[in-house]
Amino acid sequence: MNTNSNVYTIIYTTIVVVVVAAVLAVAAMAFKPMQTANVKAETLSQMMVAAGLGSMDEFLSIGNDQVLERYSENIDSAYAVNLEGDKVLDLDTEKDNIELIDNFKPQDKAIKANGEVTLPVYKFKSGITVIPIYGAGLWGPIWGYIALNQDLRTIAGVYFDHSSETPGLGSKIKDEPWFKEQFVGKVLDIDTPGNPFDIVKGGADENDNSAVDAISGATMTCRGLDAALDVWIGAYANYLKKTTAEE
Amino acid sequence: MSNLKETILNPILKSNPITVLVLGICSSLAVTVQLKGACVMAISVIIVTGLSSFVASILRNTIPNRVRIIVQLVVVALMVILVDQILKAYMYTVEKQLSVYIGLIITNCIVMGRIEAFALGNKPIPSLLDGLANGVGYGLILVIVAFFRELIGSGTLFGFRVLPEGYVLNNLVILPPFALILLGCIIWAHRSFDKDLQEK
Repeated sequence: MNTNSNVYTIIYTTIVVVVVAAVLAVAAMAFKPMQTANVKAETLSQMMVAAGLGSMDEFLSIGNDQVLERYSENIDSAYAVNLEGDKVLDLDTEKDNIELIDNFKPQDKAIKANGEVTLPVYKFKSGITVIPIYGAGLWGPIWGYIALNQDLRTIAGVYFDHSSETPGLGSKIKDEPWFKEQFVGKVLDIDTPGNPFDIVKGGADENDNSAVDAISGATMTCRGLDAALDVWIGAYANYLKKTTAEE
Repeated sequence: MSNLKETILNPILKSNPITVLVLGICSSLAVTVQLKGACVMAISVIIVTGLSSFVASILRNTIPNRVRIIVQLVVVALMVILVDQILKAYMYTVEKQLSVYIGLIITNCIVMGRIEAFALGNKPIPSLLDGLANGVGYGLILVIVAFFRELIGSGTLFGFRVLPEGYVLNNLVILPPFALILLGCIIWAHRSFDKDLQEK
């Protein structure tokens, strides 16, 4: 057979591509449940690290099941609020049926468009409330979890993650302990709409209680993180104000 | 039989893909900070080189010559994505640590190089062995580099502390340039032992 004819080439490549696509589709479906479970355990771990319930190394070593159990033991309630700060839906926290709102991208769009949002709030038994943030870094999305003390203003801990920031530069928002530690004890200035928190290039003013130092070499990532904080904490502002007023 | 032995031993020693052919340098600099990552990377590459050489060799008489490279690339990409999916399901944290470098196995010159140079002209079983052996040759260097970098840079091996607490961690070793220096030393040592490799 002439393997160099046009017809042969086209048919051959078509068959190869279809077969490969089929194999990949089957593999993707087969591994999906395990991958989702991994992502879920990772999300829970990050929230619990922000809330001061353990270290990342610890959560990585105990396995997915234990992470879910630990979360279930420590969570008090989880629900979603809208931009007005009213509760719109309850999330399940039972170990076998933990619900998370983990797809923040549509939420981020809705916040910016002032549309309908379901912003998750996780209240832990220790009195700490965890809220997520999400935004754009230099190369891809960045996100994180902010743990607030009972006054819903003071930061108790943070955890940031990213999908593809530059290793050694932008990735420091996740890897550098000093960067995350400097958030602890800082206060969200939710009375200034649009700019509740700052990450300052060149060093924050020591007297500014709502600002931290940026990372040198990670200007764009820090700018993205600053914007993410402003947008998301801005979106939670009504909830934070209302809830503190009630108590 | 001696031919088969050469097929297996040559890529590991005499024509090692990293130290002699100097292929696949990029990933060997990037993923050798820790032994665990290096081992997973090495195993992934061994599987990819072996299986793609095997599949390419089975198809070798049917592949239209004009789209040869594209078909090879599709086969390699298939293997790489499968490995990536499996790691994501069973070794999630290691996969995150290796990040883009698993995906970049597709562009690892060793894989395409062995398919072009060997698999397209040989039967499936020798091709499989050739692919596996080249992966082992690559992995061997990766593990050697990672061993020194993790030991000197972090004072640990496979995450377990080996050097005493007071040891001052060496940050230079953690950075990729040191991997290049180390690789240079390995090539140097390899060449001074194997006189055949020395240029006149």
